[in-house]
Amino acid sequence: MTTQPPPGRAEIIDWLAGLGQRPPGTERIDSMELAWLVHQVEQRYGVELPDEQLERMTTIDAAVAVLAEVLPSHV
Amino acid sequence: MAMDESVVVPGIALGADWVDDVLLAGPAADVCLRLPEVIDRGKLRTLVQQRQKELAQAGFRAGGAVALRLPPSVAFVTHLLAVWRSGGQAILLDHRLTDYEVRRAIERLVPQVVVSADRPVPAGLRTFHDVGADLASYSGHPANTAHAVVQLSSGSTGPSKVIGRTAEDLVEEINRYTRIDGVPTKNERLILLPSMVHVLGLVGGLLYCLHAGVELVPPARLTGDAIVHAIAAETTPATVLGVPFHIGLLASVQQPPWLPQFKRMTTGGELVPQAVSDAFEQKYGVPLGNMYGMTEVGVIGTDLFGRHRPAIRPAPGIDVRVVDGELQIARKESPYLGLSDPARWSDGWLRTRDAGVVDPETGLVSIKGRLDSQVSVGGLKVDLTEVEYTLGTLRGVEAAVVVFDGSITAYLQLHERRETTRLEAELSQRLASYKRPRTLHVLDQLPRTTTGKLVRDLTVLRKAVS
Repeated sequence: MTTQPPPGRAEIIDWLAGLGQRPPGTERIDSMELAWLVHQVEQRYGVELPDEQLERMTTIDAAVAVLAEVLPSHV
Repeated sequence: MAMDESVVVPGIALGADWVDDVLLAGPAADVCLRLPEVIDRGKLRTLVQQRQKELAQAGFRAGGAVALRLPPSVAFVTHLLAVWRSGGQAILLDHRLTDYEVRRAIERLVPQVVVSADRPVPAGLRTFHDVGADLASYSGHPANTAHAVVQLSSGSTGPSKVIGRTAEDLVEEINRYTRIDGVPTKNERLILLPSMVHVLGLVGGLLYCLHAGVELVPPARLTGDAIVHAIAAETTPATVLGVPFHIGLLASVQQPPWLPQFKRMTTGGELVPQAVSDAFEQKYGVPLGNMYGMTEVGVIGTDLFGRHRPAIRPAPGIDVRVVDGELQIARKESPYLGLSDPARWSDGWLRTRDAGVVDPETGLVSIKGRLDSQVSVGGLKVDLTEVEYTLGTLRGVEAAVVVFDGSITAYLQLHERRETTRLEAELSQRLASYKRPRTLHVLDQLPRTTTGKLVRDLTVLRKAVS
Protein backbone atom coordinates (compact mmCIF):
# COMPACT_ATOMS: atom_id res chain seq x y z
CA MET A 1 0.00 0.00 0.00
CA THR A 2 2.87 2.39 0.78
CA THR A 3 5.26 1.18 -1.92
CA GLN A 4 3.84 3.41 -4.64
CA PRO A 5 5.71 6.65 -5.39
CA PRO A 6 4.36 10.00 -4.15
CA PRO A 7 1.83 11.64 -6.50
CA GLY A 8 2.96 14.12 -9.15
CA ARG A 9 1.16 17.23 -10.40
CA ALA A 10 -0.99 15.40 -12.92
CA GLU A 11 -2.13 12.88 -10.36
CA ILE A 12 -3.07 15.54 -7.82
CA ILE A 13 -5.02 17.47 -10.46
CA ASP A 14 -6.74 14.21 -11.30
CA TRP A 15 -7.71 13.59 -7.66
CA LEU A 16 -9.04 17.13 -7.32
CA ALA A 17 -11.15 16.61 -10.44
CA GLY A 18 -12.92 13.85 -8.49
CA LEU A 19 -14.32 16.57 -6.25
CA GLY A 20 -16.07 18.32 -9.12
CA GLN A 21 -15.57 21.02 -11.65
CA ARG A 22 -12.34 22.97 -11.21
CA PRO A 23 -11.32 26.00 -13.25
CA PRO A 24 -8.38 24.98 -15.45
CA GLY A 25 -5.11 26.61 -14.50
CA THR A 26 -6.13 27.21 -10.86
CA GLU A 27 -3.07 26.85 -8.64
CA ARG A 28 -4.47 27.73 -5.22
CA ILE A 29 -5.93 24.87 -3.19
CA ASP A 30 -8.96 25.84 -1.12
CA SER A 31 -9.90 24.31 2.22
CA MET A 32 -12.33 21.77 0.81
CA GLU A 33 -9.80 20.65 -1.80
CA LEU A 34 -7.18 20.32 0.93
CA ALA A 35 -9.53 18.09 2.92
CA TRP A 36 -10.15 15.98 -0.18
CA LEU A 37 -6.45 15.73 -0.97
CA VAL A 38 -5.53 14.65 2.57
CA HIS A 39 -8.38 12.13 2.50
CA GLN A 40 -7.02 10.73 -0.80
CA VAL A 41 -3.53 10.39 0.70
CA GLU A 42 -4.98 8.55 3.71
CA GLN A 43 -6.94 6.21 1.47
CA ARG A 44 -4.13 5.50 -1.01
CA TYR A 45 -1.04 5.57 1.19
CA GLY A 46 -2.45 4.87 4.64
CA VAL A 47 -0.54 7.91 5.94
CA GLU A 48 -1.91 10.64 8.19
CA LEU A 49 -0.40 14.02 7.35
CA PRO A 50 0.50 16.24 10.33
CA ASP A 51 -1.04 19.72 10.70
CA GLU A 52 2.16 21.64 10.03
CA GLN A 53 2.48 19.92 6.64
CA LEU A 54 -1.13 20.76 5.76
CA GLU A 55 -0.49 24.45 6.40
CA ARG A 56 2.11 24.41 3.62
CA MET A 57 -0.12 22.77 1.01
CA THR A 58 -1.58 25.99 -0.39
CA THR A 59 -0.93 25.38 -4.11
CA ILE A 60 -0.67 22.31 -6.32
CA ASP A 61 3.13 22.60 -6.57
CA ALA A 62 3.41 23.05 -2.80
CA ALA A 63 1.27 19.93 -2.31
CA VAL A 64 3.52 17.96 -4.69
CA ALA A 65 6.59 19.13 -2.73
CA VAL A 66 5.11 18.33 0.70
CA LEU A 67 3.94 14.87 -0.37
CA ALA A 68 7.33 14.11 -1.96
CA GLU A 69 8.90 14.95 1.40
CA VAL A 70 6.45 13.16 3.66
CA LEU A 71 5.48 10.00 1.82
CA PRO A 72 8.84 8.28 1.14
CA SER A 73 9.70 8.45 4.83
CA HIS A 74 6.74 6.17 5.51
CA VAL A 75 7.70 3.47 2.98
CA MET B 1 -42.35 27.21 26.32
CA ALA B 2 -45.60 28.77 25.15
CA MET B 3 -45.34 30.79 21.96
CA ASP B 4 -48.38 32.93 22.74
CA GLU B 5 -48.72 36.68 22.38
CA SER B 6 -47.46 37.48 25.89
CA VAL B 7 -44.63 39.99 25.96
CA VAL B 8 -41.28 38.43 26.69
CA VAL B 9 -38.01 40.26 26.40
CA PRO B 10 -35.95 37.44 24.96
CA GLY B 11 -32.49 36.82 26.29
CA ILE B 12 -33.17 39.09 29.24
CA ALA B 13 -36.47 38.09 30.87
CA LEU B 14 -35.61 34.46 30.16
CA GLY B 15 -32.12 35.07 31.56
CA ALA B 16 -30.43 32.15 33.23
CA ASP B 17 -33.58 30.04 33.28
CA TRP B 18 -33.78 28.95 29.67
CA VAL B 19 -30.13 27.93 29.55
CA ASP B 20 -30.48 25.85 32.73
CA ASP B 21 -33.91 24.44 31.89
CA VAL B 22 -33.42 23.67 28.23
CA LEU B 23 -29.69 23.07 27.81
CA LEU B 24 -27.86 22.32 31.05
CA ALA B 25 -30.41 20.30 33.04
CA GLY B 26 -29.69 16.65 33.75
CA PRO B 27 -27.46 14.33 35.81
CA ALA B 28 -23.93 15.68 36.38
CA ALA B 29 -22.34 12.48 35.05
CA ASP B 30 -24.08 12.64 31.64
CA VAL B 31 -21.55 12.97 28.84
CA CYS B 32 -22.03 16.15 26.76
CA LEU B 33 -18.86 16.21 24.66
CA ARG B 34 -16.30 13.58 23.64
CA LEU B 35 -13.17 15.34 22.36
CA PRO B 36 -12.11 12.49 22.98
CA GLU B 37 -11.63 13.59 26.60
CA VAL B 38 -15.03 13.64 28.17
CA ILE B 39 -16.85 16.76 29.31
CA ASP B 40 -19.87 15.85 31.38
CA ARG B 41 -22.78 18.02 32.37
CA GLY B 42 -21.35 18.77 35.82
CA LYS B 43 -18.05 19.93 34.36
CA LEU B 44 -19.82 21.98 31.70
CA ARG B 45 -21.95 23.76 34.32
CA THR B 46 -18.84 24.60 36.35
CA LEU B 47 -17.00 25.92 33.30
CA VAL B 48 -19.96 28.06 32.24
CA GLN B 49 -20.14 29.65 35.71
CA GLN B 50 -16.40 30.43 35.58
CA ARG B 51 -16.83 32.05 32.15
CA GLN B 52 -19.71 34.16 33.51
CA LYS B 53 -17.43 35.56 36.22
CA GLU B 54 -14.62 36.29 33.74
CA LEU B 55 -16.99 38.02 31.32
CA ALA B 56 -18.41 40.14 34.14
CA GLN B 57 -14.88 41.16 35.15
CA ALA B 58 -14.25 42.22 31.55
CA GLY B 59 -17.26 44.56 31.69
CA PHE B 60 -20.11 42.44 30.34
CA ARG B 61 -23.52 43.09 31.93
CA ALA B 62 -27.01 41.59 31.45
CA GLY B 63 -28.53 43.14 28.35
CA GLY B 64 -25.12 43.67 26.80
CA ALA B 65 -23.54 41.89 23.86
CA VAL B 66 -20.42 39.74 23.60
CA ALA B 67 -18.77 38.99 20.26
CA LEU B 68 -17.34 35.46 20.01
CA ARG B 69 -14.59 35.22 17.42
CA LEU B 70 -13.72 31.64 18.22
CA PRO B 71 -13.41 28.42 16.26
CA PRO B 72 -15.49 25.44 17.43
CA SER B 73 -13.92 24.70 20.83
CA VAL B 74 -14.73 24.25 24.50
CA ALA B 75 -13.97 27.99 24.75
CA PHE B 76 -16.72 28.69 22.22
CA VAL B 77 -19.31 26.43 23.87
CA THR B 78 -18.70 27.69 27.42
CA HIS B 79 -18.54 31.40 26.51
CA LEU B 80 -21.71 31.12 24.42
CA LEU B 81 -23.66 29.49 27.25
CA ALA B 82 -22.16 31.94 29.76
CA VAL B 83 -23.31 34.95 27.73
CA TRP B 84 -26.84 33.57 27.53
CA ARG B 85 -26.90 32.49 31.16
CA SER B 86 -26.00 36.05 32.14
CA GLY B 87 -28.87 37.42 30.04
CA GLY B 88 -26.80 38.73 27.16
CA GLN B 89 -26.52 38.64 23.42
CA ALA B 90 -23.90 36.52 21.64
CA ILE B 91 -22.57 37.82 18.32
CA LEU B 92 -21.08 34.88 16.43
CA LEU B 93 -18.15 35.76 14.17
CA ASP B 94 -16.64 32.93 12.13
CA HIS B 95 -12.95 32.74 13.06
CA ARG B 96 -12.08 32.72 9.35
CA LEU B 97 -13.40 36.28 8.87
CA THR B 98 -10.68 38.86 8.25
CA ASP B 99 -9.80 41.60 10.77
CA TYR B 100 -11.46 44.03 8.36
CA GLU B 101 -14.76 42.11 8.39
CA VAL B 102 -14.62 41.72 12.19
CA ARG B 103 -13.90 45.42 12.73
CA ARG B 104 -16.92 46.39 10.65
CA ALA B 105 -19.12 43.96 12.58
CA ILE B 106 -17.92 45.31 15.94
CA GLU B 107 -18.51 48.92 14.90
CA ARG B 108 -22.03 48.00 13.90
CA LEU B 109 -23.03 45.73 16.77
CA VAL B 110 -21.20 47.40 19.74
CA PRO B 111 -20.33 44.44 21.96
CA GLN B 112 -19.12 45.07 25.50
CA VAL B 113 -16.55 42.28 25.24
CA VAL B 114 -14.88 40.56 22.31
CA VAL B 115 -13.65 37.02 22.95
CA SER B 116 -10.92 35.74 20.58
CA ALA B 117 -8.69 32.67 20.46
CA ASP B 118 -5.49 33.12 22.47
CA ARG B 119 -3.36 31.67 19.68
CA PRO B 120 -3.49 31.41 15.89
CA VAL B 121 -6.02 28.84 14.72
CA PRO B 122 -4.34 26.42 12.28
CA ALA B 123 -5.94 26.23 8.85
CA GLY B 124 -5.79 22.40 8.78
CA LEU B 125 -8.61 19.89 8.99
CA ARG B 126 -9.54 20.01 12.66
CA THR B 127 -13.25 20.22 13.38
CA PHE B 128 -12.70 21.20 17.00
CA HIS B 129 -9.83 23.27 18.38
CA ASP B 130 -7.89 23.37 21.60
CA VAL B 131 -7.71 27.12 22.20
CA GLY B 132 -8.00 29.39 25.19
CA ALA B 133 -9.79 32.74 25.17
CA ASP B 134 -8.57 36.34 25.19
CA LEU B 135 -11.16 38.81 26.46
CA ALA B 136 -11.04 42.43 25.24
CA SER B 137 -13.29 45.10 26.77
CA TYR B 138 -15.13 47.52 24.51
CA SER B 139 -17.52 50.45 24.98
CA GLY B 140 -20.09 49.36 27.49
CA HIS B 141 -23.54 50.19 26.26
CA PRO B 142 -26.36 47.62 26.11
CA ALA B 143 -27.03 45.53 23.00
CA ASN B 144 -28.96 47.20 20.20
CA THR B 145 -31.63 44.52 20.28
CA ALA B 146 -32.99 41.80 22.53
CA HIS B 147 -31.85 38.90 20.35
CA ALA B 148 -29.95 36.08 22.07
CA VAL B 149 -27.81 35.34 19.04
CA VAL B 150 -26.67 37.54 16.20
CA GLN B 151 -25.06 36.11 13.08
CA LEU B 152 -23.65 37.65 9.94
CA SER B 153 -24.69 36.33 6.58
CA SER B 154 -23.06 37.22 3.30
CA GLY B 155 -25.15 40.14 2.11
CA SER B 156 -26.68 40.92 -1.25
CA THR B 157 -26.38 44.67 -0.79
CA GLY B 158 -22.64 44.57 -0.32
CA PRO B 159 -21.73 44.36 3.34
CA SER B 160 -22.87 41.39 5.39
CA LYS B 161 -26.47 41.30 6.52
CA VAL B 162 -27.15 40.83 10.20
CA ILE B 163 -29.56 38.17 11.44
CA GLY B 164 -30.89 38.00 14.99
CA ARG B 165 -32.72 35.21 16.76
CA THR B 166 -34.38 35.37 20.16
CA ALA B 167 -33.94 32.80 22.91
CA GLU B 168 -37.55 31.76 22.36
CA ASP B 169 -36.91 31.20 18.70
CA LEU B 170 -33.89 29.02 19.46
CA VAL B 171 -35.88 27.03 22.02
CA GLU B 172 -38.67 26.63 19.51
CA GLU B 173 -36.19 25.25 16.97
CA ILE B 174 -34.76 22.83 19.54
CA ASN B 175 -38.29 21.62 20.23
CA ARG B 176 -38.87 21.30 16.51
CA TYR B 177 -35.92 18.92 16.30
CA THR B 178 -37.31 16.80 19.14
CA ARG B 179 -40.48 16.28 17.11
CA ILE B 180 -38.71 15.14 13.92
CA ASP B 181 -38.68 11.38 13.48
CA GLY B 182 -35.16 10.06 12.92
CA VAL B 183 -33.05 12.51 14.97
CA PRO B 184 -30.62 10.99 17.51
CA THR B 185 -32.07 10.38 20.96
CA LYS B 186 -30.81 10.24 24.55
CA ASN B 187 -27.47 8.46 25.12
CA GLU B 188 -26.83 8.19 21.39
CA ARG B 189 -23.99 10.08 19.68
CA LEU B 190 -23.88 12.80 17.04
CA ILE B 191 -20.68 12.94 14.98
CA LEU B 192 -20.63 16.64 14.19
CA LEU B 193 -18.82 17.75 11.02
CA PRO B 194 -20.10 21.28 10.26
CA SER B 195 -18.97 24.26 12.33
CA MET B 196 -21.06 24.89 15.45
CA VAL B 197 -20.67 28.61 14.81
CA HIS B 198 -23.25 28.30 12.01
CA VAL B 199 -26.91 27.38 12.32
CA LEU B 200 -26.84 23.68 11.37
CA GLY B 201 -23.97 22.80 13.73
CA LEU B 202 -25.13 25.27 16.37
CA VAL B 203 -28.78 24.30 16.82
CA GLY B 204 -28.97 20.92 15.06
CA GLY B 205 -25.68 19.94 16.71
CA LEU B 206 -24.70 21.67 19.92
CA LEU B 207 -28.01 22.95 21.34
CA TYR B 208 -30.16 19.98 20.35
CA CYS B 209 -27.61 17.51 21.76
CA LEU B 210 -27.33 19.37 25.07
CA HIS B 211 -31.11 19.43 25.31
CA ALA B 212 -31.73 15.82 24.34
CA GLY B 213 -28.80 14.23 26.20
CA VAL B 214 -27.05 13.21 22.99
CA GLU B 215 -23.24 12.99 23.13
CA LEU B 216 -21.58 15.42 20.77
CA VAL B 217 -18.51 13.98 19.05
CA PRO B 218 -16.35 16.08 16.74
CA PRO B 219 -14.01 13.75 14.80
CA ALA B 220 -10.27 14.41 15.14
CA ARG B 221 -10.08 15.62 11.56
CA LEU B 222 -12.22 16.06 8.49
CA THR B 223 -11.16 12.95 6.62
CA GLY B 224 -13.04 9.75 5.84
CA ASP B 225 -10.86 7.64 8.14
CA ALA B 226 -11.26 10.04 11.06
CA ILE B 227 -15.05 10.08 10.68
CA VAL B 228 -15.18 6.26 10.52
CA HIS B 229 -12.90 6.12 13.56
CA ALA B 230 -15.23 8.44 15.49
CA ILE B 231 -18.25 6.25 14.65
CA ALA B 232 -16.37 3.08 15.66
CA ALA B 233 -14.98 4.52 18.91
CA GLU B 234 -18.09 3.60 20.95
CA THR B 235 -20.82 1.01 20.61
CA THR B 236 -23.71 3.44 21.13
CA PRO B 237 -25.71 4.44 18.02
CA ALA B 238 -24.10 7.21 15.99
CA THR B 239 -25.60 9.70 13.56
CA VAL B 240 -23.28 11.72 11.32
CA LEU B 241 -24.32 15.33 10.66
CA GLY B 242 -22.53 17.00 7.78
CA VAL B 243 -22.74 18.75 4.45
CA PRO B 244 -22.79 17.06 1.02
CA PHE B 245 -18.98 17.13 0.68
CA HIS B 246 -18.75 14.78 3.66
CA ILE B 247 -20.92 12.16 1.92
CA GLY B 248 -18.24 12.02 -0.78
CA LEU B 249 -15.54 11.54 1.87
CA LEU B 250 -17.35 8.62 3.47
CA ALA B 251 -18.41 7.11 0.14
CA SER B 252 -14.77 6.91 -0.95
CA VAL B 253 -13.36 5.26 2.19
CA GLN B 254 -11.79 1.98 1.05
CA GLN B 255 -13.03 -1.04 2.97
CA PRO B 256 -14.55 0.62 6.01
CA PRO B 257 -14.95 -1.70 9.03
CA TRP B 258 -18.33 -3.17 9.92
CA LEU B 259 -20.16 -0.37 11.75
CA PRO B 260 -23.33 -1.78 13.33
CA GLN B 261 -23.63 1.37 15.48
CA PHE B 262 -23.78 3.68 12.43
CA LYS B 263 -27.41 4.72 12.28
CA ARG B 264 -27.78 7.50 9.76
CA MET B 265 -26.02 10.29 7.90
CA THR B 266 -27.83 13.58 7.58
CA THR B 267 -26.67 16.53 5.54
CA GLY B 268 -27.87 20.08 5.12
CA GLY B 269 -27.38 22.00 1.93
CA GLU B 270 -27.57 21.19 -1.75
CA LEU B 271 -28.26 17.70 -3.04
CA VAL B 272 -25.48 15.35 -4.03
CA PRO B 273 -25.44 13.50 -7.36
CA GLN B 274 -27.40 10.24 -7.30
CA ALA B 275 -24.19 8.23 -7.94
CA VAL B 276 -22.60 9.58 -4.74
CA SER B 277 -25.65 8.89 -2.57
CA ASP B 278 -25.98 5.39 -4.07
CA ALA B 279 -22.27 4.69 -3.40
CA PHE B 280 -22.71 5.85 0.19
CA GLU B 281 -25.84 3.79 0.85
CA GLN B 282 -24.31 0.67 -0.69
CA LYS B 283 -21.15 1.01 1.34
CA TYR B 284 -22.74 1.62 4.74
CA GLY B 285 -26.31 0.37 4.39
CA VAL B 286 -27.72 3.26 6.44
CA PRO B 287 -30.23 5.94 5.45
CA LEU B 288 -28.95 9.19 3.97
CA GLY B 289 -31.12 12.00 5.27
CA ASN B 290 -31.44 15.51 3.96
CA MET B 291 -32.29 18.76 5.74
CA TYR B 292 -33.20 22.19 4.49
CA GLY B 293 -32.86 25.33 6.54
CA MET B 294 -31.42 28.82 6.73
CA THR B 295 -29.66 31.03 9.26
CA GLU B 296 -32.80 33.16 9.69
CA VAL B 297 -35.04 30.22 10.72
CA GLY B 298 -32.94 27.16 11.45
CA VAL B 299 -34.34 23.85 10.27
CA ILE B 300 -37.28 24.25 7.88
CA GLY B 301 -37.81 20.74 6.52
CA THR B 302 -36.28 17.29 6.52
CA ASP B 303 -36.21 13.95 4.78
CA LEU B 304 -34.23 11.93 7.30
CA PHE B 305 -35.07 8.55 5.78
CA GLY B 306 -34.24 9.52 2.20
CA ARG B 307 -37.78 8.55 1.18
CA HIS B 308 -38.81 11.77 -0.52
CA ARG B 309 -35.54 12.75 -2.18
CA PRO B 310 -35.17 15.40 -3.46
CA ALA B 311 -38.26 16.76 -1.63
CA ILE B 312 -38.48 17.51 2.10
CA ARG B 313 -41.35 17.61 4.59
CA PRO B 314 -41.79 20.89 6.51
CA ALA B 315 -40.70 20.45 10.12
CA PRO B 316 -43.43 20.44 12.81
CA GLY B 317 -44.65 23.99 13.39
CA ILE B 318 -43.26 25.37 10.12
CA ASP B 319 -45.74 26.91 7.69
CA VAL B 320 -44.66 27.42 4.11
CA ARG B 321 -46.20 28.91 0.99
CA VAL B 322 -45.04 29.63 -2.54
CA VAL B 323 -45.59 33.07 -4.03
CA ASP B 324 -44.53 33.72 -7.63
CA GLY B 325 -42.38 30.61 -7.51
CA GLU B 326 -40.54 31.67 -4.34
CA LEU B 327 -40.72 29.65 -1.13
CA GLN B 328 -41.80 31.70 1.90
CA ILE B 329 -41.76 30.75 5.58
CA ALA B 330 -44.18 32.08 8.23
CA ARG B 331 -42.23 34.18 10.77
CA LYS B 332 -43.89 36.55 13.18
CA GLU B 333 -40.98 38.95 13.25
CA SER B 334 -38.34 40.03 10.77
CA PRO B 335 -35.03 38.33 11.61
CA TYR B 336 -32.97 41.20 10.20
CA LEU B 337 -31.33 43.87 12.33
CA GLY B 338 -31.17 47.45 11.28
CA LEU B 339 -33.20 47.20 8.12
CA SER B 340 -36.84 46.68 7.29
CA ASP B 341 -36.65 45.51 3.72
CA PRO B 342 -40.09 44.31 2.60
CA ALA B 343 -38.35 42.38 -0.17
CA ARG B 344 -36.96 40.08 2.55
CA TRP B 345 -39.73 39.96 5.14
CA SER B 346 -43.22 41.40 5.24
CA ASP B 347 -46.56 40.70 6.92
CA GLY B 348 -45.32 37.66 8.76
CA TRP B 349 -43.65 35.93 5.81
CA LEU B 350 -39.94 35.50 5.23
CA ARG B 351 -38.81 35.29 1.63
CA THR B 352 -36.26 32.52 1.26
CA ARG B 353 -35.01 33.54 -2.23
CA ASP B 354 -35.22 29.86 -3.05
CA ALA B 355 -37.43 28.73 -5.89
CA GLY B 356 -39.79 26.11 -4.50
CA VAL B 357 -42.82 23.95 -5.24
CA VAL B 358 -45.25 22.63 -2.62
CA ASP B 359 -47.14 19.47 -3.56
CA PRO B 360 -50.79 20.25 -2.72
CA GLU B 361 -51.57 16.60 -1.92
CA THR B 362 -48.63 15.55 0.22
CA GLY B 363 -47.39 18.93 1.46
CA LEU B 364 -43.85 17.96 0.41
CA VAL B 365 -41.58 20.81 -0.66
CA SER B 366 -39.12 20.71 -3.55
CA ILE B 367 -36.36 23.30 -3.73
CA LYS B 368 -35.47 24.32 -7.25
CA GLY B 369 -32.43 26.53 -6.71
CA ARG B 370 -31.59 30.13 -5.83
CA LEU B 371 -33.44 33.15 -7.17
CA ASP B 372 -30.56 35.49 -6.30
CA SER B 373 -26.79 35.55 -6.34
CA GLN B 374 -26.16 33.41 -3.26
CA VAL B 375 -24.01 30.31 -3.68
CA SER B 376 -22.85 27.61 -1.29
CA VAL B 377 -19.14 26.95 -0.81
CA GLY B 378 -18.65 23.83 1.29
CA GLY B 379 -21.93 24.52 3.09
CA LEU B 380 -21.10 28.18 3.77
CA LYS B 381 -23.29 30.75 2.05
CA VAL B 382 -21.62 33.38 -0.08
CA ASP B 383 -23.47 36.18 -1.82
CA LEU B 384 -21.62 36.99 -5.04
CA THR B 385 -22.80 40.59 -4.72
CA GLU B 386 -20.72 40.97 -1.55
CA VAL B 387 -17.66 39.70 -3.42
CA GLU B 388 -18.35 42.10 -6.31
CA TYR B 389 -18.87 45.01 -3.93
CA THR B 390 -15.63 44.30 -2.09
CA LEU B 391 -13.64 43.97 -5.33
CA GLY B 392 -15.08 47.35 -6.32
CA THR B 393 -13.58 48.95 -3.18
CA LEU B 394 -10.02 47.99 -4.23
CA ARG B 395 -7.82 50.69 -5.76
CA GLY B 396 -7.74 50.61 -9.54
CA VAL B 397 -10.91 48.54 -10.02
CA GLU B 398 -13.29 50.15 -12.50
CA ALA B 399 -15.91 47.38 -12.55
CA ALA B 400 -16.26 43.78 -11.42
CA VAL B 401 -18.50 40.86 -12.33
CA VAL B 402 -18.44 37.80 -10.07
CA VAL B 403 -20.08 34.56 -11.19
CA PHE B 404 -20.20 30.95 -10.05
CA ASP B 405 -18.63 28.77 -12.69
CA GLY B 406 -18.14 25.63 -10.61
CA SER B 407 -16.26 27.95 -8.26
CA ILE B 408 -16.28 31.69 -7.57
CA THR B 409 -14.80 33.47 -10.60
CA ALA B 410 -14.20 37.21 -10.94
CA TYR B 411 -13.87 39.34 -14.07
CA LEU B 412 -12.34 42.78 -13.58
CA GLN B 413 -11.89 45.95 -15.56
CA LEU B 414 -9.18 48.27 -14.20
CA HIS B 415 -8.55 51.97 -14.64
CA GLU B 416 -4.95 51.75 -13.55
CA ARG B 417 -2.35 49.07 -13.97
CA ARG B 418 -2.39 46.57 -11.05
CA GLU B 419 -0.82 43.18 -10.59
CA THR B 420 -3.37 40.39 -10.08
CA THR B 421 -1.34 38.99 -7.18
CA ARG B 422 -1.45 42.43 -5.51
CA LEU B 423 -5.23 42.62 -5.94
CA GLU B 424 -5.60 39.10 -4.53
CA ALA B 425 -3.47 40.03 -1.54
CA GLU B 426 -5.58 43.13 -0.84
CA LEU B 427 -8.77 41.13 -1.20
CA SER B 428 -7.48 38.59 1.32
CA GLN B 429 -7.42 41.41 3.89
CA ARG B 430 -11.10 42.13 3.31
CA LEU B 431 -12.86 38.84 2.58
CA ALA B 432 -12.74 35.50 4.38
CA SER B 433 -10.99 32.85 2.29
CA TYR B 434 -14.13 30.90 1.43
CA LYS B 435 -15.66 34.05 -0.11
CA ARG B 436 -12.70 34.84 -2.34
CA PRO B 437 -12.68 34.11 -6.09
CA ARG B 438 -10.68 31.06 -7.13
CA THR B 439 -9.84 32.85 -10.38
CA LEU B 440 -9.42 36.56 -11.21
CA HIS B 441 -9.56 37.53 -14.88
CA VAL B 442 -8.53 41.07 -15.83
CA LEU B 443 -10.10 42.23 -19.09
CA ASP B 444 -9.54 45.45 -21.08
CA GLN B 445 -13.29 45.85 -21.25
CA LEU B 446 -15.96 43.84 -19.42
CA PRO B 447 -18.68 42.65 -21.79
CA ARG B 448 -21.68 45.00 -21.64
CA THR B 449 -25.15 45.08 -23.18
CA THR B 450 -26.02 47.76 -25.71
CA THR B 451 -27.49 49.78 -22.83
CA GLY B 452 -24.20 49.56 -20.94
CA LYS B 453 -25.17 46.95 -18.32
CA LEU B 454 -22.57 44.39 -17.29
CA VAL B 455 -23.11 40.97 -18.84
CA ARG B 456 -23.16 38.02 -16.42
CA ASP B 457 -23.64 35.24 -18.92
CA LEU B 458 -20.98 32.56 -18.35
CA THR B 459 -20.48 31.76 -22.03
CA VAL B 460 -19.95 35.41 -22.94
CA LEU B 461 -17.55 35.95 -20.03
CA ARG B 462 -15.51 32.82 -20.79
CA LYS B 463 -15.26 33.88 -24.43
CA ALA B 464 -14.08 37.36 -23.43
CA VAL B 465 -11.09 35.77 -21.68
CA SER B 466 -10.03 33.61 -24.61
